[in-house]
Parts: sequence; C-alpha cells; structure tokens
Amino acid sequence: MVSRVRAELRKLLGLPTAWVGLVLGTLTAPAIVLLNAPYTRRAIAAGTLTDTSDLGLRDLGVGLIGPMVLGVIAVSSEYTSTSQHAPGARQLTATLTAVPDRLRLLVAKTAALVLVVAAQAAVAATATLGLTQVLHGDHVPAPAPARVAGAILYWTLTALLAYAITLITRNGIVPLTLLVINSTVVSVSYLLTKITDLASYLPDIVGAQMFIRDADFPVEIAPLTAGLVMTAWVAVLLAIGAVLFQRRDA
Amino acid sequence: MNVARAELRKLLTLPSLRLTALLTWAATLLLAYAYAYADRDAPLGDAALAPLGYTQAGFLVLGVLAAASEYEEGGQIHTTLLAMPRRLPLHVVKALTLGAVTLPVAAVTAATSTLPAGGATWTPAATAYLTLTTLLAAAVAGVVRRAVPAAILLLGLYFIVGPLLRARPGGIAAYLPDTAALDPPRGAAATVAWTAAALALAALTFHRRDA
Repeated sequence: MVSRVRAELRKLLGLPTAWVGLVLGTLTAPAIVLLNAPYTRRAIAAGTLTDTSDLGLRDLGVGLIGPMVLGVIAVSSEYTSTSQHAPGARQLTATLTAVPDRLRLLVAKTAALVLVVAAQAAVAATATLGLTQVLHGDHVPAPAPARVAGAILYWTLTALLAYAITLITRNGIVPLTLLVINSTVVSVSYLLTKITDLASYLPDIVGAQMFIRDADFPVEIAPLTAGLVMTAWVAVLLAIGAVLFQRRDA
Repeated sequence: MNVARAELRKLLTLPSLRLTALLTWAATLLLAYAYAYADRDAPLGDAALAPLGYTQAGFLVLGVLAAASEYEEGGQIHTTLLAMPRRLPLHVVKALTLGAVTLPVAAVTAATSTLPAGGATWTPAATAYLTLTTLLAAAVAGVVRRAVPAAILLLGLYFIVGPLLRARPGGIAAYLPDTAALDPPRGAAATVAWTAAALALAALTFHRRDA
C-alpha cells in the first residue's frame, strides 16, 4: 500500500502541469489578499463590509483552480498518449502492468491526490489567513479552527470531484472547462440558485457553506450538513468512476 | 485551394469539434433561458451578453482542440507538413478555415443568447468576438501544442485572472482580450490586437520550431 501511494505521489508530482496547479493554487489567494489590501482597508473604514470574519476565507476561493487542475491531471495524464510517435501508448498500460488490481490502484491514486491537495490547502489557507491577520488584524477576528478545517476539506473534496468526473469522462478538457467556468466570480451554480432553491445543494454551493457564513445563499445549511452533502456528491461520483474504471477496457 | 479544402475537411471530420460546438450551443440556450427566467424578479445583468460570457469557454475549447489535434498521438502534423511543406501559407490557411468553420457556430450561438433578450444589434459584434476568441485559442494551443495545458492557461486567464483584475478599479484589465462587451470600441480593439499578436506568435514558432 505504502509503495503504491509513494509511486502515485511521484507520478503526480512529476507532471509539469501538476506543478502549474500547485503553484497557481497556493499563490493566487495570498496574492489577491495582498493586492486587495488597500480596497479592503477602505471598505472596513467605510463600514461597507458587514461580516469581516469571512474575509480571508472568502479570498481562498480563487485558489481552487489548483485542486481542480490536480484532480483532473491525476487521471487524464494516464490517458494522454506518451509520444506522438507511439500511437496508442498510454501511461495507464504501464500503471496497470505494475498494479493489475484496479481497485487498489484507484485507492492509492486517491490517497496520493488527497495528501497533495490537503497539504496544498493547508499551506494556502495558512498563508491567506495569516496575511489577512497581518494586514487587517485589528478588524478581523482570528478564524475559528473548525472553519479553517472546513475550507481545507472543501479544497480536498473539490479535487476529488474533479478526479471523479475525469475518471468518468477519461478526458481532461471536459471536467476542466466545467469546473473552471463554475469557479468564476458569478458561477453557473449560483445563477441556478436564483431559479430553484434545489441548486443550493449543488456540490460547490453547499460546500462553501462549511466555512462561509455571510453570503446570500437562498437556503441556510448548517456547516456539518453542508459537509455531509458535498461528501455524498463526491462519494457517488467516485463510486461511479470506480465502477467504470474497473469494468471498462483501459 | 486544395490546402483549404484539405484543412476544411480535417476540421469538419473531427468529432470533438462537433461535440464541443453542440454542447456550447446547448449551454448557451440553457443559460439564456436561465437569465430570462431569473430576470423577472431580480435582474442579474445584461441578459443579452451574459450567457456568452460563460459559453465563450466552448469557443476557447474549440480553438484549442482544432489546433492541438495536429499534435496528438499519431503526429498528424508530420503528414500535414509532408503534403504542404510551406509553413507560413499553411498557417494562414489553417487560421482562415478555422475562422470560416467557427463563424456559423458563433453566429448561431450569439443569436441564441442575444435575440431572446432583445439585443439583436449585438449579434454581429458577438459573432465576430466569438470567432476571434476561437482563433486566439487556436494560436495559443499552436504554441503550447498540448490540449490540456493550453486549456488551463486560457480558461484560467478568461475566467479567473480576468474577472479578478476587472474587480479592481482602473488597472490593466481594460486591455485584456475578453473586455469587448464592457467597453465596445477599446475592448474590440483589444480583442483584435490580442488575436493578431497571438496568431503572429504562433506563425513565428510554427515556422521556426521542429514539428
């Protein structure tokens, strides 16, 4: 088990695109806090910011492209051709030769992804929230540990969501487009909440309620319930992905 | 002319392009409906163009897939260059055919978004913008040569960096390629300039680099 996870970790961290995700995801949120500091300070002074306890946690959202890229690339890299001159040669063939038990392979891959993303989320959250404390410490209360844990869980679950969708589509472009569009400032899921309250239970909307309080969510969901609903989404998609991975020809 | 016909046939027979165009149009239809529906009680913004703000992602993907398909497994680019060794004319023809193929898709998508919201005057401009966006994406993918990294770059720029920069007053955001809807004259100029620059860079690298 340990050697499989180590192999998957090495494969993931050996991908240049994974490092794009790691660097982007870790640095974007702290950079935004730094860039927005003058505007935030003015907004606090003017009293337009009603709940400052959300401040750093809310900025964390822009870093989510990191876990998305990592989740997608962990699977799609297995399916892209290794060379222009060797049509049909994909890394997955070698991977399955080394670990023929597909379920064990998937468990190791998932574990490696969770380890990398959780570490990235912890670093990004520490940097973002620490910077918020340094810049606006007088006005912003230190975030509760439970909310920080919720944010780290949200990042990890987002990566797993991307990973599960890619397991189903076996192609990186589709989940990437879907997820990146949906992480823009006004997301499609948010638009849907304007049409039906049911959209509040979409994974990205419900997951955010684990650690963000002051937002115009049409349905208030307790953090614990929110975490459970998002976990359920990820679990269902992962189960579908795992069954397909086991049954389909590689 | 033969080159154009060959390139056209290659583009029209790529299943991924057909699928992307279809999904993009369907997503636009859905979003246009969502905006029309939501507008009744709480306006969410300019319903004529807002759906296109999201579904331009489909056109980015269209450009990326069209350009990156040459570099996928099998190395189709080698065959292409064997048949047509003069790279710069080939590059021009590739851009023109992609534009010609994209134009009807862009027109239908733009009309789907603008007509229900009563913004028919926007349709030609939106069509041109979406076509140029596709060419820009194709140029970037031609330099990067791999579909997924090119898509990460473009989608990150259009959907994460762009909105973040625009949220700040002033600054450089007004000169990004995707601001055409916000500030028509300058935004259109920015879109054209970025696309032309990207195509020129792609032509240069295509001309100089080993295939």
